Order: sequence, then structure tokens, then C-alpha cells
Amino acid sequence: MGFTGLLQLLQVALVLGIFGSVGVYITGSTADIWVAYPGTQSIDQGRPINPDIEMLLHMDNEVSQVEPFVWIDGDWRGARDTGGVSVFVSGIDPRQQGLIFAKTLPAKLRVRLAEPDAVIVDRADLDKLGVGIGSHATINGHRVVVVGVGSGLRALGGVNVIASLTTARRLGGTPNDGDRPTYLVARLHHPAQAAVVAGRLNGRNGFGPYQVWTADDFARQSVMYWMFNTGAGAGVLFLAGIVFLVGAVITSQTLAAAVFSSVREYATLNALGVGMRALRSVVLEQALWVGALGLSGASILSGLMLVLAQSQDVPMVLNVSASIACLLLMMTLAVFSGLAAMRSLRHADPATLLR
Amino acid sequence: MTADISSTVQTLVAEAVSKSFVSGRITTRVLDALSLRIDAGELTLISGPSGCGKSTLLSVLSGLQRVDAGRVWALGEELGQLDARALERFRLLHTGFVFQGFNLFPALTALEQVELPLHYLGLSPMQTRARAVQALDEVDMGKRSKLRPIELSGGEKQRVAIARALAKAPTLLFADEPTSSLDSVSGQVVIDLLHRIARQHGTTVLCVSHDARLVDHADRVLTMEDGRILSDRCTVVVPVRNPQMKHIQDLA
Repeated sequence: MGFTGLLQLLQVALVLGIFGSVGVYITGSTADIWVAYPGTQSIDQGRPINPDIEMLLHMDNEVSQVEPFVWIDGDWRGARDTGGVSVFVSGIDPRQQGLIFAKTLPAKLRVRLAEPDAVIVDRADLDKLGVGIGSHATINGHRVVVVGVGSGLRALGGVNVIASLTTARRLGGTPNDGDRPTYLVARLHHPAQAAVVAGRLNGRNGFGPYQVWTADDFARQSVMYWMFNTGAGAGVLFLAGIVFLVGAVITSQTLAAAVFSSVREYATLNALGVGMRALRSVVLEQALWVGALGLSGASILSGLMLVLAQSQDVPMVLNVSASIACLLLMMTLAVFSGLAAMRSLRHADPATLLR
Repeated sequence: MTADISSTVQTLVAEAVSKSFVSGRITTRVLDALSLRIDAGELTLISGPSGCGKSTLLSVLSGLQRVDAGRVWALGEELGQLDARALERFRLLHTGFVFQGFNLFPALTALEQVELPLHYLGLSPMQTRARAVQALDEVDMGKRSKLRPIELSGGEKQRVAIARALAKAPTLLFADEPTSSLDSVSGQVVIDLLHRIARQHGTTVLCVSHDARLVDHADRVLTMEDGRILSDRCTVVVPVRNPQMKHIQDLA
């Protein structure tokens, strides 16, 4: 049971971690609303939008700060021979009060992006990119210099490279897009009003195609897209399902075997007049205890594993609601296993003891 | 018949009971219109070759199985009239069992084994503990009450099993081959215990065994064959201690 619990918790942490990394741009930022091309399904699928929408945002009284975000696909050539590495370049406002990656990038590091051609990569991606801090590399044929490393920037589909808006636009090299941003993000005076403001802004037209999301909605939409509409997502979810199934089978079999091995003792108790109903509740109680003990063991082990995973930059996230969901799931599993184990009690007929 | 049963001192009465088992197309008649009366406070031994129906008779008389035909009274109650719940209740209040396999929970200490069924009698934890300790003392296992089955010998395990049955203070004690898996010394201890329980507590002890050593200790020996009673022999006149169980020896 403890083993199953451990599997379950780690699996959930992995799923959350992997797919959470899809939305790292959104969850790592302090923006309250996101403006993107209409129908954008996931953060990695934005298309350039009209920069004038920034004016529209400023016109709303609730908006306190607006910032463009440029997303460019790049081909990275490192200092060492790494071949071409496909990267996502995020062009962000390098000022200290910038919104994008405000939670992930320390301000000190962030301002260094203002240096010409400066980029920041995730600590865990250094090897893959064949660079170290201070190394030069090229993206789409343009020279860049790695000025620092961050953590929590790893992406699911490729490598994230962070640059200033100016650097990113230069790297993009598509003159037609000019200074058209992929996203516009805004901070509100009252973040709780995000949904209202998004609804209000969506009602306007005249600035070309755009759609406004709250940050939470857009992050969830991106994660959902990766989870349910991509092969990787389907694979991981399928794996999670199998882990759950294996756990359920192991747990119920173990419990049923434990009950079955004591079936003669249970039968003796029944002969002595302890009712079948009482025996069933004993079995169920046993199942719950096994569940509870297993879970406490699993929690401790999972904690250790999470610490280990984080030190190795494995994307694993476990939040309170996911943990509680896991615990509930495990207890449900324990109850069902207990119910299944009760079936073993059918063999506890005291008459069979008389031979 | 029904009216005078409760007033008699016979604690177990079987009247023309029959029981058959069906296995595939073959129907085996295990009990064949068998009638029997067993008195309180004595150790009755049912012996006979294997397959003669002695264990089935025990399970029918103790309410573990129902008869196909005939009637069974235990302590004045007609068992056939009780539903499954009522039968369990009857067994809880009045019967103890000792089996050939000791059937002790591996994880529990001797004391816990004895306490376990007592919890269902509605006793307070203190009463439960007191009764369990007393029962273990009575089978001379008081000093080993903290041990688990794996640490006990076969004879000691059987004594714990007897204590478990005894702690409920049953009026009827059923034992199925209680000495068959024991060496002669342990077997002797168990026989003496069962005998003492019948004497001192006025308990009706019904014991099924083909162990020849038991014959000398039984107050009454019934020999069975092919689902019938072949012979019925009383060995001693029982001195009755329990006034409620006072009766005149009814020789067959």
C-alpha cells in the first residue's frame, strides 16, 4: 500500500511537473491577463498580434502595466559541437519591474538581459546547449552570449532561452513582423478583477484579431492542450492510468491474500458467535489502517524523492490540492480493496473447520 | 415434545435428524434419522471411523449447519427456528469451540486471542481483560499470555484456544479432534482440561475424536457408523456441582 501510494504521488507530481512546465511562462509571471491571437490553444502556438492593442489595454482603468512578450522559434548552435538545438526564445522586458518571468528570474539577473545579445538559459540545459556562463553561441545565425543561468525555466517541447525584447526581435529576423508582439500581458490594479476585465476587453473590436484570457485560464488551457491533445500528454496520462491500475491490483490482492490467509481464524470467530457483519467491518477497518499507514510512509518517501528530483532539475511539482486528491484516491482504493477482500470472508464458513 | 424440552436437563437434543451432502450426482447420507440426548455437565465423546458423520453431528448440534430433516434443540431453543443472525447470537452467548487446527491469529498475543471474541459480548474493557486473564490462568497459560502463536508449542496453542472458548463462559463446549495434532503429554493435558471444565463449570462438553486416550476420560462414549449411533455407553455417574444442571443420569 505504501509502495502504491508512493507510485501514485510521484506519478502525479511528475505529470504536474511535466505539464506545469508548459505554462511556466504564465505561472512564472506576475501578469493578470494575457492577450493573444484568437483561438490560441497553447502558449507555444501564439501568432503575432497588432501592437496597437497595447493602447486598448492602457485605456482600461483597471490596467496598471502592459508589457509585450515575443516568442520566437530558434535554431541554436553552441560553442561546443552540439549540432542544431531547437530552442524557444522568449523576448521579455528586461527592466526590473517586468512582468514576464518575474517569479522565476531574480531581478539582478533580469537586468543583465539589457546588455546587447545577452541570453539566459536554464541551469539544467547548459550541457545540452554546449555552453557555460559567458560562452558565446548563435541563434538563427545571430551571435548571443550567455550572461547567466536560471532554474525552473525548462520547457516540455524544447529549450527555453530568455532574451530581451530587442535581442529577441533581432533574432527573429522576420522584418514583416516588425515589432509585432506574440503576446501582450497586463497587470491589473485588482487581480481579482481579471475575469471581468478580460470579458470587457474581449467585447471590443477595431484593433484586429485578438483574444484576452486571464492568466489562470490561459495557463490551464495550455496545460490541458498538452495533456489531452498531444502524443506526449496521452502517453503520460496512459502511464498514470496504468500506475493507478497496478497499484489498485497490488493493494487489493495483498489485502485479499492477508484476509484469506486468516480465513480459518475468521471462521473460528464466527463459530464463537462473532457475526459476519462484525467480521466484515473488521476487514474494512484493517484495510483503512493499512491504507493510512501506507500513505504516511508514502508521504515521507515522496517528500524525499521530490527533494532529490528538484536537486536534479527533474520537473516535479506537488501542490496541496493534488496531494489531497492523491490521498483521497488512495483511501478510496483502500476501501475498495477492503470490499474486495471481504469476498474472501465468504470462505469463512465455520462448518468447514469441522473435518 | 417441545414443551417439556426446556424443563429437562438435557442441554442438547436431536430428534430424527438427517443430513446429506451432494457432490455432483452422488448424494451421500451423512446423518441417518439420528436421535440423541446429551446431559448437562458431562463430557460426551463421539467416536467412530472417519466419514461416519461425527463431525457433521457436531456441526448440526452446535448450530453451524442446518439439518435436512428432523429437529435439534439446544438449551431448549429449536435451532431450526432461528435465522442466521439469531444463530450467531445464540453461539455468541452459549457456545465455545475448540478445533483440531488451533486457528489462532498469527499477529495476536495469547491474551489478545482470548479477548477478541469477548469484545462482542458487550463487556467493559476491564471485564474483558479480567475474564481473559482468568481463562488463561485456568489453562495454566497465564505466564505465557504475552506470547504469539509462533512462540508457543502445539499443546500451548490448543490451551490458548480452549481459553478463548472458555472465557465466554459457555454452557455448551464443542471440541473437534482437540488432541489429534498433539503429542501424548500435551494431549493428556487437553483431555484433563476438558474434563475439568465439564465438572467445575457444569458445561456440556461434546467432543468428537477417534483418539483412544479420550475414551477413558469421557463420561459417556457414543460410537457412530454410517450416520447412526452404534453404541452408547456411560462410564461414570456424574457428580453435579451446578445446581441448575442437577439431573438424574439418564442411561440409554
